[in-house]
Amino acid sequence: MISFDLRARYPGFRLEASAAWDVPAAALLGASGSGKTTILEALAGLRPEVGGRFGIGGEEIEGLPAARRRVGWVPQDASLFPHLTARGNVEFAGRSHASDAAIDALELAPLLDRRAPQLSGGERQRVAIARALAARPRLLLLDEPLASVDRPLRARIVPFLARIPRDLGVPTLLVTHDPHEAVALAQHAVVLDRGRVAAQGDPRGILASPAALGVLEALGAENLFEVRAVAQSPGVVSLETPRGGRLEMAAVAGFPAPSRVAVRAEDILLAGAEPGPVSAQNVIPGEVASLENLGDHVYVRLSTAADSWVAKVTARAVTKLGLAPGRRAWMLVKAHAVHAFGDTP
Amino acid sequence: MSPSEIAGIFALTLKVALLAMALIAVPGVAAGYLLARARFPSLALVRTAVTLPLVLPPVAVGLFLLKVLSVRSPIGRATEALFGAPLLLTWWAAAIASAVMAFPLLVLGAEQAFAAVPRRLEDVAATLGLPPWRVFLRVTLPLASRGIAYGAVFAFARALGEFCATSIVAGRIPGRTETVALAIYGCIECFRERDALLLAGLATLVAFLLTAAAETWLRRRTA
Repeated sequence: MISFDLRARYPGFRLEASAAWDVPAAALLGASGSGKTTILEALAGLRPEVGGRFGIGGEEIEGLPAARRRVGWVPQDASLFPHLTARGNVEFAGRSHASDAAIDALELAPLLDRRAPQLSGGERQRVAIARALAARPRLLLLDEPLASVDRPLRARIVPFLARIPRDLGVPTLLVTHDPHEAVALAQHAVVLDRGRVAAQGDPRGILASPAALGVLEALGAENLFEVRAVAQSPGVVSLETPRGGRLEMAAVAGFPAPSRVAVRAEDILLAGAEPGPVSAQNVIPGEVASLENLGDHVYVRLSTAADSWVAKVTARAVTKLGLAPGRRAWMLVKAHAVHAFGDTP
Repeated sequence: MSPSEIAGIFALTLKVALLAMALIAVPGVAAGYLLARARFPSLALVRTAVTLPLVLPPVAVGLFLLKVLSVRSPIGRATEALFGAPLLLTWWAAAIASAVMAFPLLVLGAEQAFAAVPRRLEDVAATLGLPPWRVFLRVTLPLASRGIAYGAVFAFARALGEFCATSIVAGRIPGRTETVALAIYGCIECFRERDALLLAGLATLVAFLLTAAAETWLRRRTA
């Protein structure tokens, strides 16, 4: 069992977050500025100003300095020691069975003699993970490990991340703002919203909940659809929702066709009349069901022949298009705005 | 001026500068680290005090040192008791004067070097189980070493060429305290222009070679 209950106050930001889980891999999800990295650094023992408690396997470790916590930390930028080779980094805490196992698990043997600045982004991440694992942590904290990696390369790194709790027996806590990563890599998700835990539990359960619009907004996945691939052409996958709605999605090399996709409400363009030829691969007609005015922006809920959607536009756009319940509108969604969501690699 | 006299002057100068560097190496690096990392209200005052020898007239620094090392001061009496003779008018006094004048250059170089080391790397090292002193030795110091070395090169050069404060506390005793700078001045004072130019030319050559060697070494370390 891993649990934390953390409290801190910063100018303009208050952290009050508690969570507990008993699964090999957990994910901390939230938008930028929601407090994910602050929590991770506090758990690593690097934020003395954060109060509260933190326990691993029944032992309370919040009072311990970082050096004695045995909590591995992999920062977003990997932060390799530039004056050392990959081997020097991995064996920084000393050569051991753990460092050899980490080198094997992360397939680092060909890279060991290279200096840190000579490694690619993905290689640096793998070395940083191996370095943390070599110190035999009882929990591994991963701060957006895929954020600085190109999408095609992610498909190569995701299996390494999945392997850590499974093959090496080290529990992981992964920070991400990508729900896809959370579902793919974790069995428990803690969703953060402005310093507080908005929801936690099984990632699929949380993210499929239609009531969790605020949470999904924080994650950037207000429109979630179960899909199946019905056709594939170069660069584009054609998907169909259970009710027959069609979506075109940009294909990503290395990733299989998804069974669930997400579209951010703010990535949807609305037109008040049927548009002419446009570059967007998805032009979906619908009817405005309701408008939800949230001050600086408006959630426009639309019903299509098959599905329900929500788009986020400015109040001025609502006026300009004359949007009102019952009015027809066309949604324009780029194929690149349709994201795979929740598929285990 | 005979070749052996010239060799003796250069050997003494090198000995004085090396002792000066030995005296300031640890406190200079420590002060640089303190200025880069410590946060306390009077930090600006400490920095100002450390850099004073750079901005004060060297003759004033020499005068203060004369007072401090004089047998009438507690420090002068203590050093006399320790060495069995007064420090003033010895090559040790020349080294102390060179050390005081070179100290700010080493401190400022070290401060910049330590400030440039990303704190995140030290944090990572701590999470890998290293206590703070080992983090310093294995991460902070190696990453700051190039900047510290640059500071040390400038400090060493300053110690080699130090003239004014040195002449006040060590005098200009041929064979005992006469460094290159003092010897050149002595030659000019005695209208031995040829010897002065010879020493100045050799000093230029030595300075050029040392700087070039240091630059090459530092560049190789960076590559």
